[in-house]
Amino acid sequence: MNPATLTTFIFYLAALIGFGILFYQYTNTLSDYILGGRKLGSGVAALSAGASDMSGWLLLGLPGAVYAAGLNQIWLAIGLSVGAYLNWQFVARKLRKYTEVAQDSITLPDYFEYRFQDKSRMLRVISALVILIFFAVYTASGLVAGATLFESAFDLNRQIALWTGTIIIVAYTFLGGFLAVSWTDFFQGILMFLALIAAPVMIIVTYMSWDEIIATTSSMDPAYVDVFSGMTTIGILSLLAWGLGYFGQPHILSRFMAIKSEKHVPKAKMIAMIWMVFALYGAVFVGFTGIAFFAESPLPAGDQEIVFLELTQVLFNPWIAGIILAAILSAVMSTVDSQLLVCSSAIAEDFYKAFLKPKAPEKELVWVGRFAVIGVAIVALILAYNPDNLVLDLVAYAWAGFGASFGPVVILSLFWKQMTRNGALAGMITGAATVLIWENLGLILPGVEHEIISLYSIIPGFILSTLAIYIASRFDESPTDAVLAQHDRV
Amino acid sequence: MEQTSLSAASWFWLLVPMLTVVLLSIITFFVETKREEE
Repeated sequence: MNPATLTTFIFYLAALIGFGILFYQYTNTLSDYILGGRKLGSGVAALSAGASDMSGWLLLGLPGAVYAAGLNQIWLAIGLSVGAYLNWQFVARKLRKYTEVAQDSITLPDYFEYRFQDKSRMLRVISALVILIFFAVYTASGLVAGATLFESAFDLNRQIALWTGTIIIVAYTFLGGFLAVSWTDFFQGILMFLALIAAPVMIIVTYMSWDEIIATTSSMDPAYVDVFSGMTTIGILSLLAWGLGYFGQPHILSRFMAIKSEKHVPKAKMIAMIWMVFALYGAVFVGFTGIAFFAESPLPAGDQEIVFLELTQVLFNPWIAGIILAAILSAVMSTVDSQLLVCSSAIAEDFYKAFLKPKAPEKELVWVGRFAVIGVAIVALILAYNPDNLVLDLVAYAWAGFGASFGPVVILSLFWKQMTRNGALAGMITGAATVLIWENLGLILPGVEHEIISLYSIIPGFILSTLAIYIASRFDESPTDAVLAQHDRV
Repeated sequence: MEQTSLSAASWFWLLVPMLTVVLLSIITFFVETKREEE
């Protein structure tokens, strides 16, 4: 690796640790540690929600998919943009307010318990367990992605790469908690955005015009320039449906809960959407311009995901290449740190404080949260040690699983006064079960080859979960006066 | 035949939905902020 690239990169990693040290002193209560004391401004809330949402997929997966298949991948970007917008428009403000009214809930399981005043505590336990299991696996797969990147960029041994990445993420998350995570995500979001815009612009300005790019790609395969090529209605619906996932992602919803006040939501929404849409466009055009750029010697199938990295090395000088490499790793790290922290909050708030020591002093809770970060990181590291570990396949279900099991519960709990605790429980279980069953329909029903099986599981999951909430709530006893009165205060 | 431009349908789906989302977020920002001030 070029010394200039390496220097920039090391400077970036040192800055991350600096953030951890800086925010250590601002973290005195558990609410500070896992929600930043609800003090996030619009910009930080917006970009940190975006950066923690997108992961390495934005800089590796999406450009790689467009490079391999062409512009038909835009449907996924459309689905995500619309879903994120609806989430900001309808959920953010209301969730911010409701979580404060509902006994100042600082985690999603907290909110579920206090929203329905669930004395059995089943909502808390089930949702916290689901979060812990899926996010530990999610974190592990993020670490694998980070290690692969370190390995290919620095020619490092894979185990050393895994350890280096983990230690850095754990260090700043351990020290600075939510504020360090959000502020690093904010800067990582800016870095990702600039890098994604710079690469395709650089190609068009310096190497080939837009018309030349279209001509080259369409002469290679006309399917590259057609948004409908190879797409069926079910295929398009499935890609669009990814947007439904937003309503149930705990690490994104926690940004809504942490925003300074509901008045800050409209500005945050605007910043978040501008960031997201143009970052997605950047990623799509990185892949698309990459097709023409590498027309003479196309990247082999295994390397398509690193089309952005390959472009960077040709297009930019080593200093900028170092920054862009940092941006790619940022995308991975900004997701891993947020998921790690959500796991830590489930342990500290939803188990330790809720069941073991309700009167524990705040300082103690903060340290439980800190050590929970280390504990979850160790579990994730063990899972990540073997990248062929089958447990990591669970990640494929995580987006749809959270979306279908928590999404309808979150939306209806905010807007439907008559929703009951049993309704929430039924929705959560039905959503999760539908996703798991649907994803394995091929195994359950061998020989059945109807196209509908390929429909993304979040669609039936979301619909059935919503129905389950409605039916169970209708047949249940009406919510208590206290629950109804609390709803009226929002 | 060599194509030098995207079809109208491809341009439409490439640009309209995502830019509409951006536009809506800008419009609702001004509307909601104004409502807040009143």
